[in-house]
Amino acid sequence: MRNAYPLALAALFGAALLPAPPAAAQERPTLTVYTYSSFVGRYGPGEAIAERFEASCGCDLEWVTADDAGSLLGRLRLEGESTTADVVLGHDMNLAGEARDLGLFAPHGVETGELDMPVAWDDETFLPYDWGYLAFVYDTTRLDSPPESLEALFTDAAGPSVVLQDPRTSAPGFGLLLWSSAVFGEGMADAWEALTPRVVTFTTGWSEAYGLFLEGEADMVLSYSTSPAYHRAVEDETRYEAARFAEGHYLHVEIAGMTTTTDVPDLARDFLAFMLEEDFQSLIPEGNWMYPANLPSSGLPESFEGLIEPGEAFLFDAERVSAERRALIDTWLEATTR
Amino acid sequence: MTRLAGVRAPHPGALVALALAGLAALAFGALLEAAQGRAATLALDAYLRRVLVFSLTQAALSTVLSLVLGAALALALARRRFVGRDLVLAALGAAAVMPAIVVVFSVVAVWGRSGWIASAMDALGLASRPDPFGWPGILLAHVFLNASFAARIFLDALARAPAEHWRLAAILGFSPRATFAHLDWPILRSELPGLAGLVFLLCFTSFAIVLTLGGGPGKATLEVAIFSALRVELDFARAAMLAGLQLAICLSLTLLLHWAVTKAPVAPTERLPAARPDAADPRLRILDGMVLAIAGALIAPLLLATLEGVLALPRILDADLADAAATSLVVALVSAGLACAMAIALAGAAQAAQARRRTRLAAAYDVLPALVLAVPPFALTAGLFLALRGHVSPAQAGFLLLPLVNAIGALPFAYRFLAPALATSAERHGRVCALLGLTGWRRLVVVDWPMARRPLAGAFAVAAALSFGDFGIVALFGGGELRTLPYLLYERLGSYRLDEAAAIGLLLVAAAFALSALATRMADADRR
Repeated sequence: MRNAYPLALAALFGAALLPAPPAAAQERPTLTVYTYSSFVGRYGPGEAIAERFEASCGCDLEWVTADDAGSLLGRLRLEGESTTADVVLGHDMNLAGEARDLGLFAPHGVETGELDMPVAWDDETFLPYDWGYLAFVYDTTRLDSPPESLEALFTDAAGPSVVLQDPRTSAPGFGLLLWSSAVFGEGMADAWEALTPRVVTFTTGWSEAYGLFLEGEADMVLSYSTSPAYHRAVEDETRYEAARFAEGHYLHVEIAGMTTTTDVPDLARDFLAFMLEEDFQSLIPEGNWMYPANLPSSGLPESFEGLIEPGEAFLFDAERVSAERRALIDTWLEATTR
Repeated sequence: MTRLAGVRAPHPGALVALALAGLAALAFGALLEAAQGRAATLALDAYLRRVLVFSLTQAALSTVLSLVLGAALALALARRRFVGRDLVLAALGAAAVMPAIVVVFSVVAVWGRSGWIASAMDALGLASRPDPFGWPGILLAHVFLNASFAARIFLDALARAPAEHWRLAAILGFSPRATFAHLDWPILRSELPGLAGLVFLLCFTSFAIVLTLGGGPGKATLEVAIFSALRVELDFARAAMLAGLQLAICLSLTLLLHWAVTKAPVAPTERLPAARPDAADPRLRILDGMVLAIAGALIAPLLLATLEGVLALPRILDADLADAAATSLVVALVSAGLACAMAIALAGAAQAAQARRRTRLAAAYDVLPALVLAVPPFALTAGLFLALRGHVSPAQAGFLLLPLVNAIGALPFAYRFLAPALATSAERHGRVCALLGLTGWRRLVVVDWPMARRPLAGAFAVAAALSFGDFGIVALFGGGELRTLPYLLYERLGSYRLDEAAAIGLLLVAAAFALSALATRMADADRR
């Protein structure tokens, strides 16, 4: 059956027989790293990371991008064993279970030492490179007294309006489901029902939600506790703040892993180790606007001073997230469309 | 194919139709194969049922509103000549193909809680605020896109009315009512089934607009569920089943439309510019003024809102942008060419079938282009990729699939431009061609080309502009070499650079406007 496809395609369009990639002499091996687009865009840290890694690895680093973390795994799922990825960088912890189930990731074998994260790390497949707290960002010139707890935000009928992301299509959107589950437990459905009238809309991704918030469509937006640092550093704008919630905040941890199909496993492992070194980590705060997983010796940039410091940090393990995903989404769907 | 019965080579259109059906089957097959025999459970739970009901209602309402406004606008534009009319036509062309994300932000910029209307109400001391999220936003966005498109198609159709009809109407002293009933309505009606089917499908499968402007998960489309099955749950069997359900619904509705609204035959024999006697009617003057004002109020602000991107334009001009623009341009030209070729082949096959009195076959050719829209692009892309995997590298697959999937997406638009022209050509010259034994390529060049040239410009422009602004498949396979302008737009949006994303959005709209203006000019040059 499978062999019939290219024949059919060739017959239909005569185009399936594209020229094979030039088999150029490859003195330098190439390390192919899949990531999401904004990581290597004009403002992302990708280019600089590639330069710094290439300076020492004797290889070429090639970035291949998908739109976001979800597309990244979707693409990997489609490519399966035929993937050219050596390293996949950019999905978050909440997709780790699904990523592991693809059976395409190999143990990283990197000795991490002590990391600068609110939780201990002992995953043998994935390594974190940055993290942040999910948080609700608001404009201090428009909202005087933001809610002081997740419960107040969800249940106070006179509370602020919010713009959120759809948990079916967005990583932070799904993170909020986990956050609400951690805080409300059985009462999650009721909490969501109480919040729904004040949700302006659920967008497909973080970008659309943040854009709508900046356009003034809602009082608060679900984003990261580090978002205000961007406005301070780039726009010299201090009016955006993240609200600190009493119960604690859910963690967003971005991770990377090497594939089982890689033909340069040593290089892939070197890159994962490099990922936690100073040269990579120092580019993270003002390149990806997250906390570095391994704090560089220079510390955090000035723009990160005064960001909120939540008390407790929530992070469910990957197996629990995978197991509960469907039920959580169904609960959310039921509560918000009641 | 009106040669002697019996010796018939397959019409190229038949091959295209087969290819399209084959591609869809391939996509479904690959999805099911990738599901590795996991049984698909398509429990139509309460949520899915709600989504279905909402989708059907939403799409039906959007379609009716779009077609009514589009028809009224086309009639008004057919009756009136005014300074800047060409600009209006180009603007309609640009509006019709505006990328969903740009539409969403435009709706918010104008009708949002901090938008233009809200500011105006503020200035007037009014306390209330408009709220576009929910029904208003969805309908507004859909009508903006589709009324613009319908108006262009209807206007083209009205321009093909035979001149002797108009002379007869003038001699008989037709009232405006009789003019509409005997002259305009039959023409509009002949466009209705195809156009209604297309607009319905576009609204039924609308994704980003419905999700973002809908305000809550209750207002979603099946496409969202398919997306979620494909990307989040990685449940390919469920995705294939949902896609099948969507296809079945769209197929039945399209067939129902065709059956309910039979095509009135158009038999024009001569085409000369004719003056419309009803243009002088004072009541129609008022009506047309009102229609133009309403349409202008709905459409113009959303287009103008994209101008906000002008501020960041200087900041986006770099090598990245030049690369992305070049890639977008190449992809757009290839897919527009492919879309137009497929549309001509299919329309030709429909005419050939009609000539042999095989009306059902002709109808099948006619609905096929729109029906392709019912195959979710995510499923189509994923399926085709699975079929290709292991034979070409993922990067090559992207280069192959991007123009192909874009061409398929643009095909129904191109078809609506081209099919009526080829039908008219067949009506006028079909018998002569049959007598002379003029068929195939030679007939296309000698007979159909003069009639199809004008709409071809429009079809090519709309297909190129659509492909230019398409994001769907780039999301999955973009990056590296394959970076297009919409890809860049999302990249900037993901780096907090909302203003730069707006500037790229403006470039997309400007490109569509330029293409549309060019097509309009070519059409007019031909008319003189």
